Amino acid sequence: MSEIGIYILVLALYTLLLVGIGVIASKRMKNSEDFYLGGRSVGPWVTSLSFVAAYFSSVVIIGGGGFGYRFGMSSIWVGAANVLIGVALAWMVLGRRIRLFTARLGTMTVPGFLAERFKAKEARVFAALVISLFLIIYNVSILKGMGHAFEGLMGIPYIWAVLLSGAIIILYVSLGGYLAVVWTGFFQAWVMGFGLILLTFASLKAVGGLTAANAALQAMSPGLVNTPGEWGWAGLISYSMIVSFGVWGMPQLTVRFYSIKSVSVLRVGTVVATIGGSMAVLPYLNGAIARVLHPELANADLAIPTLTKAVLSPWGGAIFLAGVIAAGMSTFASVLIITSGAVVRDVVQKGLGRQLEEHQVVRYSRLVSTLVGIVSLAIALRPPALVLVLTAFSWAAISSTCLWPMLFGLYWKRATRWGVLSSMGLGLASALIWIGIGSPYGLHGFIPGILISLLALVLVSLFTKRLPDDHLARVFGEQ
Amino acid sequence: MGPFQTPWLTFFAWVVIAGTILMAIAWSILGFRKREDR
Repeated sequence: MSEIGIYILVLALYTLLLVGIGVIASKRMKNSEDFYLGGRSVGPWVTSLSFVAAYFSSVVIIGGGGFGYRFGMSSIWVGAANVLIGVALAWMVLGRRIRLFTARLGTMTVPGFLAERFKAKEARVFAALVISLFLIIYNVSILKGMGHAFEGLMGIPYIWAVLLSGAIIILYVSLGGYLAVVWTGFFQAWVMGFGLILLTFASLKAVGGLTAANAALQAMSPGLVNTPGEWGWAGLISYSMIVSFGVWGMPQLTVRFYSIKSVSVLRVGTVVATIGGSMAVLPYLNGAIARVLHPELANADLAIPTLTKAVLSPWGGAIFLAGVIAAGMSTFASVLIITSGAVVRDVVQKGLGRQLEEHQVVRYSRLVSTLVGIVSLAIALRPPALVLVLTAFSWAAISSTCLWPMLFGLYWKRATRWGVLSSMGLGLASALIWIGIGSPYGLHGFIPGILISLLALVLVSLFTKRLPDDHLARVFGEQ
Repeated sequence: MGPFQTPWLTFFAWVVIAGTILMAIAWSILGFRKREDR
């Protein structure tokens, strides 16, 4: 069989499976809680692996490899921060309380939680608008990443690659809702993990083992094996924080905790998510190995595709490509459902006060997720040149708005309505202004954004009226 | 130099990853003994 034939066969089987999951999930859907949260009935394995799949997008695999290529072995630290802060601590600190609090408050979305927890309806619309606007930007970069992976490995024109992968995701999300998203995510995590492990074994073999890779990098430049090495401390720490602590404010990830069957799911889930999340380190490691094997690359983002072609057979390459596509699709699908929830539930139903029947909510949700998907697709066909910059921009904006209100909402009774509103507004404004003036001192807008939103939340809360005791007692389960 | 000719500070990143997995296992065993679902 020809190389392209193998790629097409593997990807066609894979696509069939995804759409099949969408169709099965659609048969189990009766109301809007099913569409958004799978009826809060999802178990530990599916929740944890779909969390990992939504966390690591194609941008992370290709871009992470690029960082490993440019900065060398100290990039392993970014992977370590992902596992420790982005996965294990996120599950331990957020999981239990998010599940309990959102069930008590009867909310299904992050904006909904903020509004009910702080009795602040402005927070709902504000967060919903920020989330939908900036997640669309994130979507565009995910599609772009997948398009380039198809293009680089299979020679399919970029536009067809984007249209094809976008259409498949929109189909299964609008059909099957959240259940389709988590079940496909669960499956995609396996494909991603298998693809990454396959590539790692092959590249370690090609380079002659980890010791040989380190020795070769050391000979090129000691900065490629030392920490912080080529990164420098400021770069390494601020980048690690964005891609690991930033997760705590990203609704497509925190929503996983809303939907679990019970808090006991966290017991197995935390361990599975942490082990699955540890594969975050592999793109960085492979990127560094690619530096040894192909030191001449003009563009660091080509590190992973080039390595794949060089060390894997066509079958291995096809599986790895399926893994990259899986990473992109699962993140895109998760983002799609969150945006649809923000628009239908938070803006239309609660913000504009439109009364909708249950079946109408499901219908509108399907419609909106399709529309958001199509808008992202349309932008991705001719993406803005600065799409990678926009990705970091969208993470910074969403985290600066949602991270502290979410965390303090779970742990601090003294946080007030005005504290949260000012934290959201000032956090977003400072992140955007900082990026707008060209990110002085090489510091990303995420850092001033979360620092100012933290200060605003604490200081304003201390000087404004606390929420009623009976409300707090209900939220914290003390009644 | 640490194992695999990795400088110690870089090698420590691998230790953090392994430590995180052990921490998650310990948390799930110990943390849930004391608590019950509400």
